[in-house]
Amino acid sequence: MATTTLEPRASAYRRSWVLDWLTTVDHKKIGVLYIVNSFMFFFAAGILALVIRSELAVPGLQFVDESTYNQAFTMHGTIMLFLFIIPALSGFANYIVPLMLGAPDMAFPRINALSFWLLPLGGGLIFSGYLFGGAAAEGWTGYAPLTSSRYSEGVGTDLWIIGLTLVGMASILGAVNFIATIFKMRAPGMTLFRMPIFVWTVLVTAMLILLATPVFAAGLIALFIDRNYGGSFFDPSVGGNPILWQHIFWFFGHPEVYIVILPAMGVVSEILPVFSRKPLFGYKAFVFATIAIGLLSWSVWAHHMFTTGSVFLPFFSFMTALIAIPTGIKMFNWLATLWRGKLMLTTPMLFALGFISMFLIGGISGVMLASPPIDFHLQDTYFVVAHLHYVFFGGSVFGVFAATYYWFPKMTGRKLNERLGKVHFWIHFIGFNLAFFPMHQLGLSGMPRRVADYSPDAGWTILNFASTVGAFMVAVSIIPFLINVVATFINGEPAGNDPWEGNTLEWATTSPPPPHNFDTLPPIHSERPLFFLTHGHGHAAARPEDLEEHQSDDVERRDGLV
Amino acid sequence: MSARTMQAQPAGERQAEAAIAHGGSGMPTALVGMLLFIASEVMFFAGLFATYFNARATSPGEWGPPAGAHELDLPLAAVLTAILVASSFTMQFGVWAIRRGDIGKLKLWTAMTLGLGVLFLTGQLYDYSVLGFGIGDGVFGTVFYTLTGFHGAHVFGGAVGLTIVLARALRGQFSARNHVAVEAVSMYWHFVDVVWIGVFSIIYLLR
Amino acid sequence: MLRIGAPLLFIGLLAGCMLPPEPKTEVGRDVFNLYLVVLALALIVFVAVEGFILYAVVRYRRKPGDDILPQQLHGNNTVEIIWTVIPTVIVFILFGVSMITLGEVEARSDNPGVTIEVEGFQWQWVFRYEEEGATITGSAAEPPVMAVPVGEPVRLVLSSIDVNHAFFVPQFLIKRDLINLGENGRKNELEFTITETGTYAGQCAEFCGDFHADMTFVVDAMSRADYDAYIAAIVAGEPPPSTGGEDCGTPIQVAAVASLQFDTDAIEAPAGEDFCIEFTNNDTAPHDIGIIDTEINGDDVAPGESIAYVMPAMEAGDYTFYCTIHPTMTGDLTVTE
Repeated sequence: MATTTLEPRASAYRRSWVLDWLTTVDHKKIGVLYIVNSFMFFFAAGILALVIRSELAVPGLQFVDESTYNQAFTMHGTIMLFLFIIPALSGFANYIVPLMLGAPDMAFPRINALSFWLLPLGGGLIFSGYLFGGAAAEGWTGYAPLTSSRYSEGVGTDLWIIGLTLVGMASILGAVNFIATIFKMRAPGMTLFRMPIFVWTVLVTAMLILLATPVFAAGLIALFIDRNYGGSFFDPSVGGNPILWQHIFWFFGHPEVYIVILPAMGVVSEILPVFSRKPLFGYKAFVFATIAIGLLSWSVWAHHMFTTGSVFLPFFSFMTALIAIPTGIKMFNWLATLWRGKLMLTTPMLFALGFISMFLIGGISGVMLASPPIDFHLQDTYFVVAHLHYVFFGGSVFGVFAATYYWFPKMTGRKLNERLGKVHFWIHFIGFNLAFFPMHQLGLSGMPRRVADYSPDAGWTILNFASTVGAFMVAVSIIPFLINVVATFINGEPAGNDPWEGNTLEWATTSPPPPHNFDTLPPIHSERPLFFLTHGHGHAAARPEDLEEHQSDDVERRDGLV
Repeated sequence: MSARTMQAQPAGERQAEAAIAHGGSGMPTALVGMLLFIASEVMFFAGLFATYFNARATSPGEWGPPAGAHELDLPLAAVLTAILVASSFTMQFGVWAIRRGDIGKLKLWTAMTLGLGVLFLTGQLYDYSVLGFGIGDGVFGTVFYTLTGFHGAHVFGGAVGLTIVLARALRGQFSARNHVAVEAVSMYWHFVDVVWIGVFSIIYLLR
Repeated sequence: MLRIGAPLLFIGLLAGCMLPPEPKTEVGRDVFNLYLVVLALALIVFVAVEGFILYAVVRYRRKPGDDILPQQLHGNNTVEIIWTVIPTVIVFILFGVSMITLGEVEARSDNPGVTIEVEGFQWQWVFRYEEEGATITGSAAEPPVMAVPVGEPVRLVLSSIDVNHAFFVPQFLIKRDLINLGENGRKNELEFTITETGTYAGQCAEFCGDFHADMTFVVDAMSRADYDAYIAAIVAGEPPPSTGGEDCGTPIQVAAVASLQFDTDAIEAPAGEDFCIEFTNNDTAPHDIGIIDTEINGDDVAPGESIAYVMPAMEAGDYTFYCTIHPTMTGDLTVTE
């Protein structure tokens, strides 16, 4: 092949930096856009959380009135779930999945850009309710008939519906893209059972999004027709059925829970092996457990509806409890990965360990709630709030931060500062538990969720105050994180290609990777191609002399590549 | 920590290209995308069908158009069904034509499919205009117009796709080897047809 | 170790009191016992897993300079089967005991002592005693009181005329939704037998709009005789016997004023007899009056409202009254012969 050096036509390629980001179809830039956008929404929804906690710190209405309070928790839940956690994990998936597969981009780069840009649009619409007489205030679950035009007149609820529909379309297009990418864009040698666990979790998540979100869209459209065109889907006075909304919402909403948690599990399953210096224990069992959770998630939705008296309790209780089995398998796999490892407690590892220890609590309280008689007492109390925050915050958000610290070097070429990272982790971890653990007891003693006020005679004041202190600690912990990100951008420690001695292909290219991702791909013989490259089959080195052998081996391999 | 250095080399570039080429085997990626999108559309209509059955189960009194309104026009709906089913055949004839490389036949069959689609939509709008009840008239009106309306919107979307295929065919942009867009639009058109058979069956036949 | 141990120790201490209120109904006892079984299982799993994580972090931490790879363990079928079986067994135990309790919670007696139609609306309750012909309503300031006999099955028929609500009394350990399913739609039912006389606070548990938090009520469980008298009084349109109505002479005037203060530092009351305090809240925060070192704790008063507290007879002596919401608001109460 004859080589010619192509001179770039300098003037032709000069584009403004802003325009470049606005029009990009590069999965890496889109991934960064997703992540930055998600964190913006995280801060907004976090401020709403502080409004909620401030109001509840002591009995009485001190800061906001009931209506403002109801808008605050509705927006907090909606934004955190639909515009922070899911898009943040989608952003990491967007950046990392093609790299992990050895692919140059996503399958449909332009659709990828579209599905990103629908997000700020949809999120903006949801928030814009505040400009038009008040945002939606019916809770993120939007139960009929409270959401009907009779009980919620404002345009805020309509904007909520339209915004969520756009966000849902974005998710569906994103899911199509992920599945097509995973099935069609894998590098030679990257068989399905050599894919990193993160890719597997993204695949199952995308399947759930693909099949669950359209049902929610149908429900949102039905609600919109009821509100604006005189429809009566959910209006009992003319033959509609308000329970139908709960069925539709949770038929989507429970797979949604796994949409939120599965990619975070994937992140943790990448991080634990790297910093334990061992492979993930039981790779295939983990994959099948992920698929099992995906399948079971279709048959458990009505456990959110035990107290409605409209569902068959034994079936949904049993199916819900069954989910504990694949989840338990995953938990044991993570623990066995730690067992006899050589643990390096870096910040991503701390967040990953935080994930498994906090998600455990959310999982246990979830199994407790699967028992109908216990649920009759705890449903719609702060126990449920505690449970869902241990899953979404202790689980998914810890996963998001673990991913941030883990992949930041790949995305920017610079490593976040470890000392600040650990300060962030510990304030975050302690604040999180202080904020949400007391809620278990509040719920057990009967404090309902979504109340703007409570009686000083109920004995809930001390725990609520503790919870508020914890919420502010979590907010404070974001300060070292932000300082860390900014300082690292300005003057961070250069990361090199592979700062963590990673296992997967994203570490086989430069940091940040070039637009086409890989100049060269290592051979792929296992789910840890990079580990293989360094250590061979890796049945390692118990004695120092073996190690020396391996190191020389390593050098040879490296030489062979260059 | 030892950094593993990788340097650019022409062989590696070929490997990266091979990764793209790998996607070329089996079904084209665009068709995989279309199939996945159709799967999500199936779930969307499944949601709407669920609202229909739920309304039918919980609504008190006789199920059907509100008192005083016209009965549903079954013969007209049957004719519309025949039109849409026929359009699925014409679409498929077009696909087979272009697989043989016969772009002339593709133009003909696509134009016929588009014509049948427009005829279907016109017929449905006519039906709406004479039914004498609206979306706000009881839960039957709500589910009837929502189901048929969203199906109609999908037919319209398919017709837009057909127009694009026709325009590109008229410019001679398709060949026996290169006609993914035709295949994708035909998949979508068949899907829209199947959904209509479902809508027709539950609304008009399963009374 | 300490920095991981401290928060977990804190969690452990809190877990020590992770119990629902002491149940005051028969089904509540069943639920409570089920909860104890489930909590025990939960604590075993919790301690075992968190303990292992802590152990692993301490025991398997990489020492500086240790570059030897640990053994690359990919899996082990035997242990994987074992730890699939463990959660399966736990799940089946949990499901079994839950179903037994569910049968008890859902059991319906043939002939309940009283049947009450509970109707929820934004944002209050109506309790209808169809057989007795009594209707009880209330307001946010004075929540409705549901009078029920103890020791007899009480059946509630729950419906809503607008949005969803839920009937919840924490000390009964049960709740059920009130759903508007149209005029002839199905209504949820709830049945319980209260075991102790007393008043139990309840409130709406399903978010129902702006004043969801104000949708409170009280269940007053009394002996059959008291109950009959109570309902008879309501049917006759008289104030029910057990609530208020005591004569306590000229009330003592106390007001809360701006920025968390009482308008008076000292008040006097007679010893050995009931007395009244008329409390007006002119501040912008809610307040109440309680007496330090006693059980006395009055209801909250919203800004701009007032209330008449009936104080029980007290022995002579010096006391301090205070606002239980804002304990820095205090004043002297002198009780004299």
